[in-house]
Amino acid sequence: MNEIKPSQSIGIRKSLVDGPEKVSGKAKYSSDFMPIGCLVGRIFRSPVAHAEIIKVDIEEAKLLPGVKAVITGDETDEPFGILPIARFEFPLARDKVRYRGEPVACVAAIDVETAQKAIDLIKFKYKELPAYFTSKDAMAEGTVDLHDHRPRNIEREVDFELGEVDKGLSDADFVIEESFNCAEVCQVQSEPHAAIAEYDAEREFITVRASTQVPYYDHLMLAKVLKMDEAQIRVVKPFVGGGFGCRTESLNVTLICALVARAANGTVRLTVSREETFITHRGRPETDIEMQIGVKKDGTITAVDYTAIQRGGAYSGYGVVTILYSGGLLFGLYDLTAVRYKGFRVLTNTPPPGAMRGHGITNVRYAFEALLDKIATKLKIDAIEIRRKNLLKGPNYETLNEMFINSYGLPECLDWVEKESQWNQRKGKMGKFRGLGVACGHYISGASKPVNWTGEPHATVHLKLDWDGSITILTGAPEIGQGSSTMTTQCAAEVLGLDMSRFQIITSDSKLTPKDNGSYSSRVTYMVGNATIDAATNLKKILIEAAARKLDANPDDVECLGEYYSAGSQDEGLTFNEVVTAALEGTGTITVKGNFDTLPESWGTKKYRGGAVSGSMAYAYAAQVVEVSVDPDTAEIKVERVWAAQDVGKALNPLSVEGQIEGSVWMGMGQAISEGTLYHNGLGITNSMLDYRVPTIIESPPIEVGIIESIDPNGPFGAKEAGETSLIAFIPALTNAVADAIGVRPTDLPVTPDKLMELMEKNTNNAKSVT
Amino acid sequence: MEFMPNFKLYRPDNVDDAIKIKTEHAEARYVAGGTDMIVNVRRGIEQPQSLVDLTSISNMNDITEVDDGLQIGANVTLRNVRENQIIQQNYPCIAEAAGSVAGPTHQQYGTVGGNLCLDTRCLFYNQSEWWRQSNDYCLKERGDTCHVAPSGKRCFAAFSGDLAPSMLVYEAEINVVGPSGSRRIPLLELYRDDGMAHLTLGPGELVERVHLPMALAGDPSRYEKARIRGSIDFPLAGVAIRLRKGKGNAVEDVAIALTAVNPYPKIISGLQGLIDGNLGEDELDFIRDAVRKQSKPMRTTTVAPWYRRRVVGALARRLAAELSA
Ligand SMILES: Cc1cc2nc3c(=O)[nH]c(=O)nc-3n(C[C@H](O)[C@H](O)[C@H](O)COP(=O)(O)OP(=O)(O)OC[C@H]3O[C@@H](n4cnc5c(N)ncnc54)[C@H](O)[C@@H]3O)c2cc1C
Ligand code: SF4
Repeated sequence: MNEIKPSQSIGIRKSLVDGPEKVSGKAKYSSDFMPIGCLVGRIFRSPVAHAEIIKVDIEEAKLLPGVKAVITGDETDEPFGILPIARFEFPLARDKVRYRGEPVACVAAIDVETAQKAIDLIKFKYKELPAYFTSKDAMAEGTVDLHDHRPRNIEREVDFELGEVDKGLSDADFVIEESFNCAEVCQVQSEPHAAIAEYDAEREFITVRASTQVPYYDHLMLAKVLKMDEAQIRVVKPFVGGGFGCRTESLNVTLICALVARAANGTVRLTVSREETFITHRGRPETDIEMQIGVKKDGTITAVDYTAIQRGGAYSGYGVVTILYSGGLLFGLYDLTAVRYKGFRVLTNTPPPGAMRGHGITNVRYAFEALLDKIATKLKIDAIEIRRKNLLKGPNYETLNEMFINSYGLPECLDWVEKESQWNQRKGKMGKFRGLGVACGHYISGASKPVNWTGEPHATVHLKLDWDGSITILTGAPEIGQGSSTMTTQCAAEVLGLDMSRFQIITSDSKLTPKDNGSYSSRVTYMVGNATIDAATNLKKILIEAAARKLDANPDDVECLGEYYSAGSQDEGLTFNEVVTAALEGTGTITVKGNFDTLPESWGTKKYRGGAVSGSMAYAYAAQVVEVSVDPDTAEIKVERVWAAQDVGKALNPLSVEGQIEGSVWMGMGQAISEGTLYHNGLGITNSMLDYRVPTIIESPPIEVGIIESIDPNGPFGAKEAGETSLIAFIPALTNAVADAIGVRPTDLPVTPDKLMELMEKNTNNAKSVT
Repeated sequence: MEFMPNFKLYRPDNVDDAIKIKTEHAEARYVAGGTDMIVNVRRGIEQPQSLVDLTSISNMNDITEVDDGLQIGANVTLRNVRENQIIQQNYPCIAEAAGSVAGPTHQQYGTVGGNLCLDTRCLFYNQSEWWRQSNDYCLKERGDTCHVAPSGKRCFAAFSGDLAPSMLVYEAEINVVGPSGSRRIPLLELYRDDGMAHLTLGPGELVERVHLPMALAGDPSRYEKARIRGSIDFPLAGVAIRLRKGKGNAVEDVAIALTAVNPYPKIISGLQGLIDGNLGEDELDFIRDAVRKQSKPMRTTTVAPWYRRRVVGALARRLAAELSA
């Protein structure tokens, strides 16, 4: 009997629990729900970039047979937005339109042809205003403000200095500066946006299914714009085809769908095209960065002084948070003693960006790591050594902005990539048009203060145990393809010592599952993982007590071996099912709860306004080495190989950790060499998968993944973030490799062949000295 | 992708019926693999009431060896061209070009006829109906200005098919069939320098097959295209080159053709001086410069025209160097 052991689930390569549905095509995504009588929704979008609305004439459209509802901005005067301080976007434009493609009206009709005919019958009368498509134009003197309450089109200005920057710069032996431009990018997740809303007039109740990362925020915003009681709304998140941050706030598609369903008094399905998904946007903003770094001869950084300007589009979205992250997250990777940051979030007549993977820090980190590389070359210090020189110092890893850092695996990441890439043997000896580059990155494991501060725990998980001996995990955490359902199941199974097959999971249905803030800021593994462990521990306690009663033993003497509970070696013991029966006796089905809360020490600094943004319970670290070759004739960059090490605390599921890191490399590759939106007078000209060039599998290099486990003391089994950090490190590692290959350093992203050829031609002799 | 509008689909099994249906329905359009047509229909660029599907016409489906060369039916898929051993051996750059079109799934459906008759492309044209409407359309379709060259009255949309240049260097001919019968013309004559109407086909006419001459079979050749990604992307610039060498490695015959840098596939002229000589650095530079001079890319893609011109020259030089080595 004694050889019975608890099942292990953590640290083992586990295939995803929702994999079979996806692979077999049984998984239902939002657009797969088509109940009988379901109407088709279609959006009328603004043809102009900036205009006062004179009239949206929908009379003829409404009269078209087959049309069940046509709504405009008159439908609701309640604005929405993710941040309580910046809610001034309407589901359908009122008074003004501010970007080309902004929703103006929506039709619900019996079929798509009729809906389109109705759209064609809408007459939109407007008075055009000057429009601004660049941050510079929007901030210029004498512009028309997009929003009356945002003078000079500045959404948010951030300005802080921590430490003595001027002194740091004057103490430096070298000060190097550079300007960088990073193009706006989009997520291009596989599933375009979709929603289906079912209005029940009898009960004044609405059920909404949507492709979302944040069903709870949808719930709040639906109640707000519909002016309905939250209790009269049910939000369900079906399978979702990726997010990467574009669904981290309520999208107009979801809200419009609900509004038009109520107006039509029926069920409406609103699926939008890839182009409309691009227009809905919430990608990464175009960013201009000017940065100065001061260093001692030995490579020690004495000060950093920089400005970031983000083209924020027509509405705030997460903008305030993005521009704050661009400052706060400079800290926590290296030991910085003086930093000055100026950030400008600008309102422009383009679609609003959002919280894309690597939120707020990706572009700033790119600039920083590129500049550090330039300094290393200048000082003839090895690029890995200069990074080692500036590592945070343990045991407390203090930062100027008071980050809460308890695990720091960056040194091990550097060691790993150095060794695996044979850096020391190969760097500088790659021959013409081939190069190696290194860079680092880090990211939070969940924002310690959520955007809506309500006081309830950060995460709550329920476990339901029934007479059949199965355990149902009920969580609001949205599984969006990242593997959160698998992670939760692993955590519960590990604590109880049971096989994962004993568990089923139900996620993100507001009438069944406990509220959860959503899948963003890499919070789910850390927070929901911990809440799951808490719930499972509570359940285990109940089971042990039940077993003790049955065995007539002291609970302290009962040992849980998963499928078997015993009290001392003499005892016959009980099977799990017997324990369940004992536990349910008299009480019936049990539902236990687990919570997680962040510690106040992790809530960020009060040294500047907005310092709470970038406070987290833990930070993940990455180092990457990228090897590239450059075609001398076409200036095409080929990524030959990538070594990606990430300190994830503990790899709960090494299989999905690898997947996340490989995906990060691919996404980073897009931003680095081929992706970027372009506009023609505010009209997106790259809004298709042909012209917006996401790398294909042909571009995928061999990726060696190094998992570093620093075991964070507060993480679930020691785990931290795994999905964003590696993306951040890839981009500068690539451009640093390009600089190594061709002797000239690209500064603007993406490094398309036309831009690179221009650089190469400027640098005629292709001397291998990067300056 | 936008929704698919309603249209009537005809599927004739012989050429005569196809032409008859097309002539009877003024608005009708031919479709083969549909990999370009259907995209354009969904975007409202084409708004046909009827589509005449050519792929059931059986005598357009084969690759046939004939006395004076090789015949490729217009319905032959790009995949079959790519995998055909005779083409690989005798006209290698054609197989190479077919294998460089879009991605494998497109090659499975896309046809030779569709590729040769591919509509010209432009950033301001290959957009959704909403997009083009918001941008007041353009000369090529319903509008009255060109957004690429607003002062002119010409359309510079680029012909971007990959196959045409690879066939042009082999002096391909095509069979054109129409209401007034059939004619065989050099492939070159299928095209004209006008982005709005780049094909010389008359009303109801279709391309039945391609003819590749025996005389040039076996000549070494290469095709390469500049693109951002290794798959999916149309050529930013494409170049085919056929180079036959004789005694002492001297050039016996050479032909170069380009795609995606003009409204029509372009044969490079002025190469006679290379005949009977060797290709040294100077000659290779000459090739590069001739190609650059004769390519006229405009702002019809997101990638800068100057780059496309430079790269097409560089690719031509590289391929020539490879073939002369
Ligand atoms: C994402 C994407 C990427 C692409 N990339 C490339 C690329 O890299 N290179 C490239 O060359 N193409 C590319 N294409 C375009 C297209 O897939 C190919 O050109 C293909 O060969 C077209 O053949 P089809 O049979 O599908 O043509 P269809 O779409 O059926 O027809 C295209 C045109 O030809 C006409 N046509 C067809 N057959 C005949 C005939 N026998 N006689 C007269 N007219 C005819 C049709 O009326 C239509 O105007 C791409 C398309 C997509 C969607
Ligand atoms: S080149 Fe000019 S006319 Fe031709 S498609 Fe482009 S914008 Fe239209």
